[in-house]
Amino acid sequence: MPRRPWWSRPAAAAGRTRARADRRSRSAWSPTSELTDVGTLNDKNFNEYSWLGAQEGATRIGAPAPKSAISQASADIAKNIQSFVDQKFDIIVTVGFAAGGDTIEAAKANPNIKFIGVDQAPCVTEAGDNDPNFGCKGDAAKLLPNLLGIGWKEQQPGYLAGIVAATISKSGIIGGVGGTKVIPAVVNYLVAYENGAKSIKSDIKVVVQYVSAAPDKLAFADPAAGKAFTQQMLASNAGMDVVFQVAGLTGNGALQAACEAKIWGVGVDVDQYVSTPDTAKCTFVSAEKKLKKNVSDAIAAIAAGKGKSGSVKLDLTTDDVGLSEFHEFDSQVSAETKKKITDAIAAMKAGTLKACEEDAFGGRKQ
Amino acid sequence: MSGLFEIPVLGIIFQLLDFLINVFTLNGVIILALTAPLALGALCGVMNERSGVVNIGIEGMMLASAFAGWFVAAVVAQAMPGSTPGPLFGFTVPLLIGLLAAVATGMLVSALHAWLSITIRADQIISGTMINIVALGLTGYFDLLLSQNPFPSAGTFSAFDPPGWLVDLPFVGWLFRMFLNQNPITISVIVLAVLLQIWLFRSRWGLRTRAVGEHPKAAETVGINVIRLRYRNVILGGVFAGLGGAWFTLDFGNLFQNGMTNGRGFIALAALIFGRWHPMGAFFAALLFAASGSLGIAIRTAPPPGQLGELLQSIPEQVLSALPYIVTIVVLAGVVGRSIAPAAVGQPYRRESTS
Repeated sequence: MPRRPWWSRPAAAAGRTRARADRRSRSAWSPTSELTDVGTLNDKNFNEYSWLGAQEGATRIGAPAPKSAISQASADIAKNIQSFVDQKFDIIVTVGFAAGGDTIEAAKANPNIKFIGVDQAPCVTEAGDNDPNFGCKGDAAKLLPNLLGIGWKEQQPGYLAGIVAATISKSGIIGGVGGTKVIPAVVNYLVAYENGAKSIKSDIKVVVQYVSAAPDKLAFADPAAGKAFTQQMLASNAGMDVVFQVAGLTGNGALQAACEAKIWGVGVDVDQYVSTPDTAKCTFVSAEKKLKKNVSDAIAAIAAGKGKSGSVKLDLTTDDVGLSEFHEFDSQVSAETKKKITDAIAAMKAGTLKACEEDAFGGRKQ
Repeated sequence: MSGLFEIPVLGIIFQLLDFLINVFTLNGVIILALTAPLALGALCGVMNERSGVVNIGIEGMMLASAFAGWFVAAVVAQAMPGSTPGPLFGFTVPLLIGLLAAVATGMLVSALHAWLSITIRADQIISGTMINIVALGLTGYFDLLLSQNPFPSAGTFSAFDPPGWLVDLPFVGWLFRMFLNQNPITISVIVLAVLLQIWLFRSRWGLRTRAVGEHPKAAETVGINVIRLRYRNVILGGVFAGLGGAWFTLDFGNLFQNGMTNGRGFIALAALIFGRWHPMGAFFAALLFAASGSLGIAIRTAPPPGQLGELLQSIPEQVLSALPYIVTIVVLAGVVGRSIAPAAVGQPYRRESTS
């Protein structure tokens, strides 16, 4: 019988098991790395712009391009951090509130590695351990000098988004779609959004709903679910004509639902008019944080020996949060509305206007 | 009506019925749209498993097709701007080419699965897992490359607009709206499920397929070419996975995201088993999953007024998110009974003369 070609031979008969030595050589020394939140790196949003910041930071300090790891579930986060520790990176950036606890533990165990936690505010016990109860008795800045948590006052751009939403709404019913209510940033955005809207029209109806009960892929990485969720929300709230999405990728589906229903959407974290061109025609404005610039700056500061520790909360005073441009919709924003926005910004900068109570997030300190 | 609601104990049941009817009539269109990817995945599973090949790579096949469809459609749309949508479903040339690319990708990945599990006789579970992992990694990598310069997609098909008098009919109008006011892939699902049901149980091909899935040796003795039939069915099953993938990026949504299938390929497998390897059974199982998911959202976001609302809102959110799975367990245990897989599923076939 003629010998059959390799592609038609069953595996057992092929008999070509190659015992290959592990050829994985140690990769070149590479000083920064980034770890994403649950979800995905190229989300055209939160994770992606943090990643761009890490890349830019690495270039600025003359380091090789950073490496990244994507956590598919919360349980992966600690493992992925450890793998970066083992690869002897100098700076490790972890992204997302959900990675906070694991970042603290890793920073404590590896005092020689600098950690940057995006959307985190280290909360430690007196011994310098992660405090899951958010008692925050210890001074993180002293106990963990190698860890900097970067946070933003999301309530400020959220408040401004509320002002815009209330002025463009004709029906007096506006909505907000959050990923999950266990992430403080999400809740801050949306609580302030409601406050901002009510500052314009006190009788406006603001419907805020959350897609998932946990910070999982459903909450931040599932556009189809986000679209269906928003459509269902629109169906049960007839007349709603503005939707503010605070749900990452899931929220991109919310913007799509808004486009199809021919109502306005409001983007989040980055200028979504630019980052998601498909929904640009109905993305009136976005509530922004300067993710890329802030992460890059933090890396550059560490390299310059001026790295901070503890946690920083970036806000309007340094223009690290704010509203995006209105782009093609600029002509639809009246001078009066623009004045209201600038007034609110000035008041928030001066500290006379609070976008929301400091404790909007169900009693937990950030 | 409201008199009925005030009867103690029994009133709650009337309120619940009223609430359920409201939710399903209001959200029928969304529920059927969410059924589509689950049902298409399950139909792919029917084609595979009825002919004796396990396929747990549906998730990866759908993801790969979703990416291919989205990418090809967007590239064609860039190359030929200004193509006008057709009169029905908003068909445009880029969208149609994207749809073909998605289906072709589904068939191509299925062909790989067929080769590994039929010719190479590799472990079929491993082959499916490999497809899932590779699809996630490759599409994510390509998407990362593309997302440096975000460009607009080719858009989506649009929904069929059924005549107003039909959807305004009392009592049944919402059903017409649910099944007709849909994008093309979603509408095709019920048609495909019915056709496959007939083919599988009323045609020569169906009889042969089931024979090969139950007892391939016996089938071979009556002159059926087991290997060829399995190849053909697995690759044709890829058509359904391809359509399921296209649903994500050309039909329901218009953008590709890494890992956007988010486990729906596995839910499709559950629907397949739940539906006892029948195409229609799988469709109804998928419909039940989608409906209970929508019910969970409705309870959380638009609870009914009164006693029932208080009662339903006291259920923790986590339980409501798990509603589709709780319903599965209840229905599977109480109504469907034992679900028996085709006997030869997962066993590579070996011809006696050539082994």
